[in-house]
Amino acid sequence: MNLRRLVRTSSFRLTLLYAVFTGASFLVLFAVIFWSTTRFMQHQIDITVEAEIKEVRTAAGDGSIDNLRRAIESSTKQAGGFYYLLQASDGSVLAGDLPPLDAVPGVREWVEPRRLPRFPKVDIRGRGEAVDGGGYLFVGTGAHEVHELRESVAQSFLWGLGAAMLLVLVGGALMSASVLRRIEAVSQTSRDIVAGDLQRRIPLNGSGDEFDHLAVSLNAMLDRIGVLMEGLRQVSTDIAHDLRTPLTRLRQRLELARQRPPDAQALHATLGATLTDIDAILSTFGALLRIAQIESGARKASFRTVDLSELLHTVGEIYQPAIEEKSQTLREDIAAGLSVNGDRELLTQLFANLMENASRHCDAGARIELRARQTGNAVEVVVADDGRGIPADMREKVLQRFVRIDASRTTPGNGLGLALAHAVAMLHEAELKLGDNAPGLRIGVRFAQAAESPAQRG
Amino acid sequence: MRILLIEDDAETADYVMAGLRESGHNIAVARDGRDGLFQATGQDWDLLLVDRMLPGLDGMTLVRTLRAGGIETPVLFLTTLGGIDDRVNGLNAGADDYLVKPFAFSELAARVAALGRRPRRTAAETVLRVADLEMDLLARSVQRAGQAIELQPREFRLLEFLLRHAGEVVTRTMLLEQVWDLHFDPHTNVVESHISRLRGKVDKGHAVSLIQTLRGAGYSLREAAP
Repeated sequence: MNLRRLVRTSSFRLTLLYAVFTGASFLVLFAVIFWSTTRFMQHQIDITVEAEIKEVRTAAGDGSIDNLRRAIESSTKQAGGFYYLLQASDGSVLAGDLPPLDAVPGVREWVEPRRLPRFPKVDIRGRGEAVDGGGYLFVGTGAHEVHELRESVAQSFLWGLGAAMLLVLVGGALMSASVLRRIEAVSQTSRDIVAGDLQRRIPLNGSGDEFDHLAVSLNAMLDRIGVLMEGLRQVSTDIAHDLRTPLTRLRQRLELARQRPPDAQALHATLGATLTDIDAILSTFGALLRIAQIESGARKASFRTVDLSELLHTVGEIYQPAIEEKSQTLREDIAAGLSVNGDRELLTQLFANLMENASRHCDAGARIELRARQTGNAVEVVVADDGRGIPADMREKVLQRFVRIDASRTTPGNGLGLALAHAVAMLHEAELKLGDNAPGLRIGVRFAQAAESPAQRG
Repeated sequence: MRILLIEDDAETADYVMAGLRESGHNIAVARDGRDGLFQATGQDWDLLLVDRMLPGLDGMTLVRTLRAGGIETPVLFLTTLGGIDDRVNGLNAGADDYLVKPFAFSELAARVAALGRRPRRTAAETVLRVADLEMDLLARSVQRAGQAIELQPREFRLLEFLLRHAGEVVTRTMLLEQVWDLHFDPHTNVVESHISRLRGKVDKGHAVSLIQTLRGAGYSLREAAP
């Protein structure tokens, strides 16, 4: 993982943004501390100076300039950490250890450029006030503590800021690296899949975090695509296998017709038979595509409530004449008001295929039954006949494409009817089961969840 | 009939064009969607045959554009095999009928004839009549030569459809779609069975058989052989 990629990740950019905000808040904090500590120190100095002035004035007794001079001279000698200055009205220094000043009353602070004898530091803060007779009294003290404090606050701020920035950046880099690693796993998997390893899936780390969620969704998508591709592959294989035979037969027929002497009537008959063959091939082809489309699940989007009772009556009605023509009988026992959620057209085809299957594989005189009822939440439709039935070991198999009991394939049909019915049932999450009707075949389609019928909804 | 065929596949276009010319129609071809839209709006046509997949502008958009522009020329969609949602989408877009490719030419001819007649239909008829067969749509009764015929609801619909298309060829697929709402081809002879039942009720005992089977094409309700 190179540094340039790391720096370009979105999480690293977020980290930088975060660093800027952290810096800004540090700055605000610093300004507040700086200001308040300085203020506090200055206030302390001002109070001390005020007290000293009071003391000097008390020592001076009546406050005359001479008394003041004496008091200051003695205080100066005591060297209590203060600077003193007493000026006459003409600005001449009467007492104290400071050079003359402008007679400005109030608090003042300055840096004394001239070196003073007692203190190496030259920052002075103090208070001046007028005295009787036009003189000026100033008492001050060294203010170097304030500056030292300021410097120390600034220094700790810089260290703190530096450390915080370092932590933020290192943390951000670690975070970005971990995000990048997860993303990298996803892209690596995608690249592998693109390169042909279709079985690859994105690894989970089991933490259930958002990357795991993403990975689960993506994996589910890959699985689904895999199923669809498998379906497509299956269709191609089926077409290759099962359409080759009729196509070969077709070719032979045409070849034979060409070898024979030209006879308009014979040729016409050949053409007719050829057209029939082609129609059969096209119908097989269409059924295969239809199964593939049903299996893709796209139709699920258009599911709505279907009146199953009405649908089954219609299917029965459609097939009744054809069944009776074969001297078979159809008996209907369909409960009223059955509804399921699904695709009307496909469900019609499902039950039509089952009816067709029953009628086709039974001889004359067979009894075919179409029953439907609701038990609990489930709706079950049964198409049963008393024909030859299907051996138990074949019942699962006939649901696959092109699997037929009659291996010689002399009975009509393309071997796709039940496969299609099965695909439709799967799409509706219904269970299609073949059973023994003793004698005959019993096919049950069980919808786990009945839909609320419009009548029930009232 | 003046028919515009909008189809990009040259072979299909030639096949359809030759067949429809033979049946006496006047037919022009547009090779892509844009040209098709241009020609369809520029001239007066009796019918448009539109391929679902077209370069330039697909068939669905083309029909939608036409309908939005107030052009009500009947449209027959030609869709490819297997597009099971194409039919619904096509009809929603404003097409009048659809046909799945590859189709038998007889199927196309029957549908073209049925669509061409459609706009000329006058205000809702209440009585349909062919020769001595009469259907009263309000009373829902049928009689032939003055004698009442009892029909089941679905038989009534079947006969009504045949009467509405009297004199025309009605294919098996058209009946499956229009009468039973079945949009796939059952392999069992369901249509044949229903027709033969209906025939037993309508034609039995009469000198002239009105319901005729046209081999390889379909059925037709008419007074005499063509």
